[in-house]
Amino acid sequence: MEGFLQALAAGLLIGAIYGLMCVGLGLIFGVMRVINFAHGDFMMLGMYAAFYLFTAAGVQAVFGNTVGPFVAILLTGPVLAVFGYFVHRTLISHVSGTRTASLEGEGHYAQLILTLGIALILQNGGLIVFGSVLASIRTPLSSSAWELGPFFDMSIFLNKARSIDAIVSLAIMSLLSLLIARTRIGKSLRAAADNPTAATYMGIDVDRAHRTAFALGCGITAIAGGLLATNYPFHPFVGLEYVIVMYAGVVLGGMGSIIGAFWGGMTIGLVQQMSTLILPTQLQNAAIFAVFLLIVFFRPQGFFGRMVERT
Amino acid sequence: MLRIEGLSAGYSAKPVLNDVSIEVGAGQFVAIVGPNGAGKTTLFKTISGIVKPSGGAITFDGVDLLAVPPPRRAHLGIAHVPEGRQVFPSLTVMENLEMGAMTESGRRDWRANIERIFEWLPVLKERRSQFAGTMSGGQQQMLAIGRGLASSPKLLMLDEPSMGLAPSTADFIFERLIEIRRKSGLTMLLVEQRVAEALESADHGYVLEAGHVVLQGNNATLRADDRVRKAYLGM
Repeated sequence: MEGFLQALAAGLLIGAIYGLMCVGLGLIFGVMRVINFAHGDFMMLGMYAAFYLFTAAGVQAVFGNTVGPFVAILLTGPVLAVFGYFVHRTLISHVSGTRTASLEGEGHYAQLILTLGIALILQNGGLIVFGSVLASIRTPLSSSAWELGPFFDMSIFLNKARSIDAIVSLAIMSLLSLLIARTRIGKSLRAAADNPTAATYMGIDVDRAHRTAFALGCGITAIAGGLLATNYPFHPFVGLEYVIVMYAGVVLGGMGSIIGAFWGGMTIGLVQQMSTLILPTQLQNAAIFAVFLLIVFFRPQGFFGRMVERT
Repeated sequence: MLRIEGLSAGYSAKPVLNDVSIEVGAGQFVAIVGPNGAGKTTLFKTISGIVKPSGGAITFDGVDLLAVPPPRRAHLGIAHVPEGRQVFPSLTVMENLEMGAMTESGRRDWRANIERIFEWLPVLKERRSQFAGTMSGGQQQMLAIGRGLASSPKLLMLDEPSMGLAPSTADFIFERLIEIRRKSGLTMLLVEQRVAEALESADHGYVLEAGHVVLQGNNATLRADDRVRKAYLGM
């Protein structure tokens, strides 16, 4: 019982970060319908950006070892958003949005090849620039825990760094949900996702909406990456490990649903941690995909997939 | 207000419009009729900038429209109510109307506009928090019209508002449109396959066949024309 609760807690904490990571990708896919293979590598850049902001850019000196990492992580959001903005402007926009009409297969082939190319460049470029040594963002909180309880002789230990990660993640998720649901920008992003042609008739610049979504998606996933980095060491090829999880989360949540992607990521985090109760740790990822297949078998549209449309 | 001169357009190698000239004066209600595939929808898409023309000119309020990027055209005062409605299915009715009001003038006049739209199309008020994708075809058409009106347009372009609707629903939508026009004095450009109704209510009409304007004139001339009577009015 104690083991179960402990795994549940660990799953919820890591799930919150996975959720945020998936939301970044889900936003890009939902608004642009572009499959971004490089998204894991954008997250890798986010991890290194957080690392260097913390160590080299003076954040450590100003904010110290406890608060500093989180300040650096939050700062990576805007940094990677700007990076994403320029990647979209210089590369992605040529094969997506309003340009797709003149491309074969609505530009999907070109998008796959382009984002795969960006992924390879980022991975190998990362290897050249950052080296192959494992890096990590250590904070004193990474190795200490809060004790919940005891309830009926049972105590649950929550890693402090991961707990704060989860709180930051939920806060950003709430802000994003508000942005998408309430603001003019959020509504025009959804309109552009629903029907880009009709959005153009409304006076919405669809390419600009896509650029906003791409920048936001990169920034959000970068923050999730920074949060992960407080507990997991990383290297230039770390994106590959996570991009699969991101896609699984987005599909579980329902393709095109931004909130769904969060719950998809949360589910994956939970399954990953809970599976350790009955399976050896090496089978964690196998367990994720077994559950993934099961859910998709019974609910192919995902948790929040749209099935209500009439045409 | 809208002047189209010698417009030619098409998709890759296939020309759809050939030397089309159409004029819509301020306050006029102009109908373009013609069979399926005549190029009516392509004409609208060219005005909105989704299709690039291969020749000709379009001016709107003295502005060279072809030099204006497509998303900016709505801001000049052109509202396009597209074929097949194309409401935003995952947005609510209210949010759809807000999208219509993305233009500067739509934002400025939002309160007055929404009041008028709810008065003219009361079903939208009743269903304002419903997702547009779950509404019936007729309701979606009314939403598409309301969304167009929400931008405070100078010109309302309607692409087959009767498409895919039951005849009684289509009649109802036509009545609404005529009432809206009577009350607002809005300039309207209508494309329609229901030729009799369209010509009856419009001031001026054009007959488009295989990408050419084959006939034009005011409402009485067209309805008296033998070819129109035989081919479209079944007389």
